[in-house]
Amino acid sequence: MTEFYDRYSAALYGVINRIVKDEEEAADVLQEALVKIWHSMASYDTSKGRLFTWVVNISRNLAIDKIRSRQHRVGSRTQGLDDSLAAQRQAAPETFRPEHVGLQEITRKLVPEQRQVIDLLYFGGFTQSEAAEELNLPLGTVKTRARTALKILAKLIR
Amino acid sequence: MEDFQTYIESGRLEQYALGELDPAAQAEVEAWAARSSQVRQELDELLDGIGFYAEAHAQTPPAALRDRVLRNVLAEIGTTAAVASAAVVSPAPAAPAPTMRVSASNPHLAKTAAVSPPVAQRSSWAIAASVALLLSLAANALLYSRWQQADSDLVAAQNSQARFAQTSQVMERRLSSTQEQLHVLRSPQEFKMVALAGTPAHADAKARVLYSATTHRVFIDVQNLPKLPEGKQYQLWALDKGKPVDAGVLAFATAAGDSLQQMKDIASAQTFAMTVEPTGGSVGPTLTTMTVVGNI
Repeated sequence: MTEFYDRYSAALYGVINRIVKDEEEAADVLQEALVKIWHSMASYDTSKGRLFTWVVNISRNLAIDKIRSRQHRVGSRTQGLDDSLAAQRQAAPETFRPEHVGLQEITRKLVPEQRQVIDLLYFGGFTQSEAAEELNLPLGTVKTRARTALKILAKLIR
Repeated sequence: MEDFQTYIESGRLEQYALGELDPAAQAEVEAWAARSSQVRQELDELLDGIGFYAEAHAQTPPAALRDRVLRNVLAEIGTTAAVASAAVVSPAPAAPAPTMRVSASNPHLAKTAAVSPPVAQRSSWAIAASVALLLSLAANALLYSRWQQADSDLVAAQNSQARFAQTSQVMERRLSSTQEQLHVLRSPQEFKMVALAGTPAHADAKARVLYSATTHRVFIDVQNLPKLPEGKQYQLWALDKGKPVDAGVLAFATAAGDSLQQMKDIASAQTFAMTVEPTGGSVGPTLTTMTVVGNI
């Protein structure tokens, strides 16, 4: 477990923190995620993809559940979405910190529109149709952007 | 071939990669990936892309967090592991430990874990528990919204109840005054009816006084009185041996003939008369304004 923590905590914590935007809550979610990963280890299937992808997804889903339930408490869904988008816009500059070399690399490769779509979908927990509504774009455009962005990202690894 | 291309273009794979699909749809994507190497390759690319994006956001958690989180996680895992091994007799208590040594380099260890019975059993329990939890969460949300609804309904009901109580109090008061008036009218032996006729200046003015010599109570009942200008009010006088005694002013509703009005008690009188006085009444009658008069 300790080994697992040292190997993955930075990646998981980064994603969780980017979603919940609260260090205290991020720590809680990270803990929850580790317990959940441990318990669902049996259901992990190598044919479904890399272990990394799988554990990140578990953490991400927990984090998104967290902000959803938080939004639920705050008020209506629409309001919650607006809030989260506003928070995201505010949070954006912080992701340009110099220690994130990989991130800088990415921002150079992705046009802002693609990044915005991916951020909404991945860190905001939006569905593609919700993102289309939020950005006032046709669903097709959102789909294309998401797809192109993911392709570019995939090429970066190779 | 054509089909795979269409499926790849459908955007399903992106949704899968972004974790937007429900388990059924996920299974569908996985089935496609298993059937077609093109789909598989495309999906892997997308997954790697998003994985890379996630990794790019890596952020080392504060050092203080490490011990705290690890301690809590181990404590939580420890208790459930103990429960699981207590339920199943065979497994060695140390069994779960090695399976944790999973990393990107040897993910297959996770698979071996799936084969061992306690883990499998635990995972089916975990699934059952998660389903139960989800159901209870949904039920909670439903109950919560119903409760909120019931709460606001209750407030509304309490408001209207208070309104009804007020109304019924008003009705009660009106009823008792009506009953009293009725009693006055139906007791001819107790109350003497004194007809007050209009003076020559106000020939069609008409009213009557109900007077009880035993209880000294006086009621006025107006049939018809001329309308008064602003600032004026009718005042009733009792004349006892030629001396005027104030019996009180008439309320506007009484002057309009809406109801009986109880006036001041009068010990003894032979004549009743009404004059027009400034609002609030006068100490002595203004005889020139006398409107009606009548003898007992």
